[in-house]
Amino acid sequence: MLDACYQIGFGWSHPNTFNLHKATMYEKWGMMPPAAESPPSGLSTQFSALGLARVVAGQGTRMVLVLQALRTLLKLGFSGCTALLVGSLVMEADVPPWLAAAAAALVGACAIAGLFADRRVVATESRVATGLSDAMAHRLASMPARQIQALPAGGLIVAMQRHPEAVAALVVGHRAARTMMAAGPLIAALALLLVSWQSALLVVLLTPVMIIFFALVGETLHRRAEAQERAFGRLAGQFSDRIRALPTILANHALQAEEAKLARRLDAYAANTMGVLRIAFLNAAIIDFFASLSIAMLAVFLGLGHLGLARIPGFHDLALWQSLFILMVAPDFFAPFRRFSEQYHAKAEGEAAAAALDRLFEDGSRPFMPSGMLEAIDLSLPAAGMVAITGPSGAGKTTLLRRLAGVDGAPGPMSGGRGRPSWIGTDSFVADGTIAEAIGSNADAGSTRLELAARSVGLLDDALLPGGLSARVGANGASLSGGQRLRIAVARAILADGPIYADEPTAKLDAASAASIRRALADLAASRPIVVATHDPKLAALALRRIDLPPRVHGAAT
Amino acid sequence: MTETGPGSSRRWWRYTIALAVVALLCAVLLGGLSAWFLGSVALAGLTAAALTFNFHIPGALIRLLAIGRTAARYGERLAGHRAALTDQIEHRVRLFASMAQAPALRRAGWQFGDQATLTDYVDDVEDVDFSRLRAGIPTFTGAVGVALGLAATAWVAPLALPPILAMLAASMLAARSLAHADAVWTRSRTLRREGAGTLGSALTSVVPLKAEGLWGPLSHEAIETLSRADRDYAALRRRQASVDALASLLGPLSALGVVAAAWLAGGRGAALLLPVFVAFGWLALGEAAAGLSRIPVAWLRRRTASRELGRWGSASPPADGSCEPHGAPQALRHPGLQRLAPDGRGLGRPLPIILEVGRPTVLVGASGSGKTSLLKQIAGWIGEDPMETRGGRLDAAPRMALSVLCLHDAAILADTVRANLFAGTRADEDLWAALAAVELTDRIIEAGGLDGWVTQSTLSLGEAQRLNLARVLLSDRPIVLLDEPTEHLDADQGRRILDAMVGRLADRILVLSSHTVGGLPQGRTIVL
Repeated sequence: MLDACYQIGFGWSHPNTFNLHKATMYEKWGMMPPAAESPPSGLSTQFSALGLARVVAGQGTRMVLVLQALRTLLKLGFSGCTALLVGSLVMEADVPPWLAAAAAALVGACAIAGLFADRRVVATESRVATGLSDAMAHRLASMPARQIQALPAGGLIVAMQRHPEAVAALVVGHRAARTMMAAGPLIAALALLLVSWQSALLVVLLTPVMIIFFALVGETLHRRAEAQERAFGRLAGQFSDRIRALPTILANHALQAEEAKLARRLDAYAANTMGVLRIAFLNAAIIDFFASLSIAMLAVFLGLGHLGLARIPGFHDLALWQSLFILMVAPDFFAPFRRFSEQYHAKAEGEAAAAALDRLFEDGSRPFMPSGMLEAIDLSLPAAGMVAITGPSGAGKTTLLRRLAGVDGAPGPMSGGRGRPSWIGTDSFVADGTIAEAIGSNADAGSTRLELAARSVGLLDDALLPGGLSARVGANGASLSGGQRLRIAVARAILADGPIYADEPTAKLDAASAASIRRALADLAASRPIVVATHDPKLAALALRRIDLPPRVHGAAT
Repeated sequence: MTETGPGSSRRWWRYTIALAVVALLCAVLLGGLSAWFLGSVALAGLTAAALTFNFHIPGALIRLLAIGRTAARYGERLAGHRAALTDQIEHRVRLFASMAQAPALRRAGWQFGDQATLTDYVDDVEDVDFSRLRAGIPTFTGAVGVALGLAATAWVAPLALPPILAMLAASMLAARSLAHADAVWTRSRTLRREGAGTLGSALTSVVPLKAEGLWGPLSHEAIETLSRADRDYAALRRRQASVDALASLLGPLSALGVVAAAWLAGGRGAALLLPVFVAFGWLALGEAAAGLSRIPVAWLRRRTASRELGRWGSASPPADGSCEPHGAPQALRHPGLQRLAPDGRGLGRPLPIILEVGRPTVLVGASGSGKTSLLKQIAGWIGEDPMETRGGRLDAAPRMALSVLCLHDAAILADTVRANLFAGTRADEDLWAALAAVELTDRIIEAGGLDGWVTQSTLSLGEAQRLNLARVLLSDRPIVLLDEPTEHLDADQGRRILDAMVGRLADRILVLSSHTVGGLPQGRTIVL
């Protein structure tokens, strides 16, 4: 919930607020905080989200800066024209007739420059995000299965959805705001210099005082945020945690108790959050204060100068238009600070997102090391017929099967040629749609072949899948049981033409289905090579060759 | 925050509105007054009036407005967040309670176990939580500011009104169409969800996909879908940029318009001072309107989020704890129970069911044969089947109150071990005894004892499953339903723990499903 405060609270500007923000982001994105001691990174190529994003952003960000500087200059031009116009009219001096038109044209041009700058930010950020996504897609495509499985799936998906955008906002929007925080006040000060160097000096001198205040507030905020993190960090994600756990809470009849506890904890967390916000909003208040102070001081000095009551160097003998110009430009001096502080959450989120992506995609892959046991095994496969890998649980059956299928980096013996391979297992992929689409998604088979394949594995008389081939499987097969997935995978394999790798294809099935799967696999073995990893003696009995793995002391690699 | 409860935020919202209006007024008056002041003194300085000009009152007013603007803005932020956080607590607690009534909760596959769905949901909740602060208050304040500007313009330079009104109408139309850009925003969200779904199912099937050479194309497709969602979002932001550009014209052009109109109406010299006041007020109002496009976007997000959250709501009556306590039934019977699939369709032939105290029942069947659904049906979670007891009949709702259902994918709450055991009134010795029975003593001591903090990710699947079984041992409900109690446990440990549990639960009606346990001594087996 803090996150929301960041988005609205205009004034987060000090890096020290990061800690406060961290807990929320971890909650929101479901990330684990980085380990205290950073793990030794792999020797090979590192994934650097920030580096990549900066390269893609390069030209675009520079263009944004040019446009934003142009906007600032046009705004100054408008202020100059307007001040001159109003000053001259009030003093009844001669006004060049084009002045009003020029002011209007300048403000129009300023809006257009602003529009282009904003659109350029959007376009560049979008390009950066797409570039990052593409890089991640390439990385994912080339990772060995082992490494992908080691990634936290939920965290990876959320990272893919949200992190590219956050990193892009950091390297484009935030970076532009940071640069403009240096350039904007400089341009404004130069404009003041043209009229009165003393007034330029006044706003410039106010700046270090403002920064001292920032530092003081930042220090306090840092302490408070740390204290909050220590005391309440755990309570940050209670709402989403309880929504996630609702079925468990209901099953244990803890609904009322949890509801009351949730209310108490949200309350405690909110109270503490307010304590931190009280200080955090001071940042914005400081910018406001100095901007207001500069106007108040300048107005008084300039007023005294006009009245001729006091001879303040630089503030007397000015024309009205000059004083008005000073008054209009002084707030512009402070505006970039405010814009930068609004970008604060972009910085915190972007940095955390980049770090998370780097961690996810750091190349921790070690070369595949076949254990001595695997080296001793003849890995060549026959052109047709069944090979059974047997052995007790944990002997490494699945590891060997994966080695043969070439999913863990090193290519398997059958890779290249001999048709499209199939993998049969309870984790087989099922495309969205109907049974027919799930079975045929990878083959251009006619409806007769589809139906034969489905029938041979008993999919057409499954009580849980009424409707035969046109029965819908839920989104991405979410509602299917392991056994149903397995049978769909076998049907798919029937329609493919390459080698087949089957991981425990009969384990989660009732006797009749298991028998039909055995029959189907035996038929397929007549024309194709099939490797099965199995506990099922009846299935192993159908094999031409058996690889019997001895029990291992340590657990299996999977 | 000490005071919560319905309406306690109202006072803070009132402060917020008042302070927001004061802050805006201070900013506008500060701009107008300082320009008027400079003009006045410049005119006075030309003559002897300089000596009599009351310099102090406007000077003091300018200082007051400057301080007032700073203070009111700070106060507005604080009060606004205070109000929004108070509402947020109330809203979230209410949402939690209403989600507990959602029918989807008791059916198969609670989507919020999935992190991407949960994250989207929390985003929606937040969009609603903070919509008042992001959309409501700024809209109101802006309207007050514009109304004052228009009134002042009508008074000092009525000729300027038509162009200002035209610009205002154009800005409002643009903002309105942005606030109704549902199509783009919804498409972006849908694509994002689709991409996440594809990626999720690809990730669970990475080995088969790799083996078949489909992993690369599929993961690419999923990520491309996410990129398309990003591009849709970018389209929305481009529209935002147009609204902002249009809004940035409003202040400056109105200012020029007022001065020009006053001059055309014959104002010269001192007579222009008041129009200059109004013109610089418009300028200050224009500055305050920077980033205006955030407001219609906040409205848009709020509407979409409410619709999304509304999908979960349900009208079904409270499902838990509302029933009168029944005595503990000794047996439950059903002559022919029509089993239900997770989506509510009938499944298979009616099944006679007899469940008795002291005779544990094992549901055996292949994966996908409907064991979990049958357990939920017995627990009264799905279906409305009455069952017979010795004394009469027991409907689904009271059965739900009498049974503890041990789901195989039960969650660990981010909380203490004690809270996770859901046995608030039991003595510590009882808790430790239950933990010992599921062989978790050492692990819990390592985690910091009963008051140690655990989360889903700090426990392994097997440890989570055992903690889940400990919850059952500490429950006093007479009907105990265990879904795959030995899942994630190795065979020996599973057998040991199950035997211990059957022994301790001998006085309850016990039903368990398993595809590994063959049967239990003195037990019944139902094959599905």
